[in-house]
Amino acid sequence: MIDIQGLSKHFDKVVAVDGISFKVNKGEVFGLLGENGAGKTTTLRMLATMLTPTSGTAKMAGFDIINEPEKVRGSIGILFGGESGLYDRLTAEENIAYFGELNDMDRNRIKERIKELAKVFNMEDYLSRRAGKLSKGMRQKVAFARAIIHDPDIMLLDEPTSGLDVSAIRDVHEFIKRCKSEGKTVIFSSHSMDEVEKLCDRVGVIHKGRLVATGTLDEIKSQYGDSDLENIFIRLVGGKSES
Amino acid sequence: MRTYLSDWWVEKVNLKHVWIVFKKEVKDIIRDRRTIITSILVPMILIPLLNILVGGNVEKLNRDITENITVALSESSNTEEIRNLVKNEVIKDYPNISLIEVDDPIEAIKESKVRVVLDFEEDYLTKLNEGKPFVIKLLYDKSQTKSEGSLGFIWDAIDNFNRKIVERRLDTYGISKDILTPAVIEESNIADEKESAGSILAMIFPILIVILMSSAGIAPATDLVAGEKERNTFEPLLTTKPSRLSLLVGKYLTVTLFSFITVIATMVGVIIGYVINPSSFSMGSGTNITGFSIPPVALLLVIIISITLGMTFSALQIAFSTYAKSFKEAQTYLSFLMIAVMIPGYATMFMQPKEIPVYMFFVPVLNALSAFKTVFGYSIDYTYLFYTLGSSVVYVIISLWLTASLFTKEKFLFRS
Repeated sequence: MIDIQGLSKHFDKVVAVDGISFKVNKGEVFGLLGENGAGKTTTLRMLATMLTPTSGTAKMAGFDIINEPEKVRGSIGILFGGESGLYDRLTAEENIAYFGELNDMDRNRIKERIKELAKVFNMEDYLSRRAGKLSKGMRQKVAFARAIIHDPDIMLLDEPTSGLDVSAIRDVHEFIKRCKSEGKTVIFSSHSMDEVEKLCDRVGVIHKGRLVATGTLDEIKSQYGDSDLENIFIRLVGGKSES
Repeated sequence: MRTYLSDWWVEKVNLKHVWIVFKKEVKDIIRDRRTIITSILVPMILIPLLNILVGGNVEKLNRDITENITVALSESSNTEEIRNLVKNEVIKDYPNISLIEVDDPIEAIKESKVRVVLDFEEDYLTKLNEGKPFVIKLLYDKSQTKSEGSLGFIWDAIDNFNRKIVERRLDTYGISKDILTPAVIEESNIADEKESAGSILAMIFPILIVILMSSAGIAPATDLVAGEKERNTFEPLLTTKPSRLSLLVGKYLTVTLFSFITVIATMVGVIIGYVINPSSFSMGSGTNITGFSIPPVALLLVIIISITLGMTFSALQIAFSTYAKSFKEAQTYLSFLMIAVMIPGYATMFMQPKEIPVYMFFVPVLNALSAFKTVFGYSIDYTYLFYTLGSSVVYVIISLWLTASLFTKEKFLFRS
């Protein structure tokens, strides 16, 4: 479903991502682990066609991110961390519908889908309220619905739990599980080991723009002879940064 | 160039997406009470309000200066004899000037009870009878508009008094009073009513249109790109299907639309202001504007040039908003843009339409100012108007190209 081939990104002289390659199978949840500034966001931004790679490419749902960016964007949904950015003067429903329209859905389908999602996320009571008047939790649910209104095959989540409180984090985890149960392929970046252990089928550890380890959790644990992911991570990252 | 154009504008701009973005942005802005107030209500109400307040005050001041002029005599001159002379000889033909009695003449000027105090030379009567000049001192307060404004009328009255005395003296010698005026002046204004009215409009309207055009898009342009970045809605938007250019065009059309709405609102305000108080537009010149009319073709050109101007500004405003890292930064850039427009506006405010050098019809902003001046100043030359139109279209293209390049470059889009 996702096939990343030698993806690199340079910002002037800074190498943010350095020849990353990995595959994510359909229906898999892939965790991208790394410290701040390791290149997680840049990788996800390239996969979302927001940034053009300096070299290399990737296939998302069979579409090339360089040659078919529009088709790629039609098959992905994104959820980026921090405050959920919504249009405050539009209602929750209008916020979601706007993204449906932008992704070429017809009106009836948008209506049906919003009804569906409103049930899933318990948003029925506040669908017609302006986003500016919603609580943080409500806004987050609207952002979830907006990300999957067009039923994308792939979900890209960039540190979706950063800066959130416990219950909001749980909501995000539920959301990721839901995506998986619907057969979506998910890449999400994080620096929380617990989160990754809890949710991911496979992980990739990224450090200074390079992918330093990849595999299922069990594979990685047995490869490094340690059952604690955090220890392995520190060895991978700490060791490299000392050299 | 063809490949470039087809690559960017034909393949990448999807009109359906443009329409979706445009519709949403318009809805969003209409719900923003602040923008509606600043871009529609304020311009519609401001000019009529200024007309009522300023216009009313100016008229009252003019009336006060010309009517109800009060004069008094200084303490030393306040005799029955002088009072009679002033009443019966000096101000007799001036019903708007009246002589009043006050206790302290100097204080009376300061308190605005009296405009001017007349102080006669002590032995004025002897000198008058001997045919020698005597002095009348006029005491007034330059810091008071009304006192200074009334001074001219007193001068006039004293001149008139002098002429009467001289005529009487000549009469006693049997000489005709015509000897005093070897040459008689007759002046005639060759500008027709339209040109006179136009010269006032040529001063106000061009700068008004240009400043409005440059400021009207500020609020929506800031909100539509820098605002989205700040509210974290920009990244999700960029990962939807539409190309960046489709998003840009949708946003650009919204800013342009609101620029026009502001300009139309202001023009409605101007018309309301005119209906309420027609004289406020003549700026005290007494020229009547009612006889003024613009030929339809010239008016059409003014509208088209205004549109191109609005399009250029909207593009630049979006460019600055894209470059800005935050809402505040965008506002700062855009106020600089407005100042950059005001400078040529005020610098050419008093330039006469007929004095405009040809090159000015090609320089950005100055070209529109010049074109508007010639049309409102009623000295229309269609060649020049087309120079302006042509150069304006070029500037629209350049500004759009600049904005499109900025908006599609990740370096600027994700500047942080």
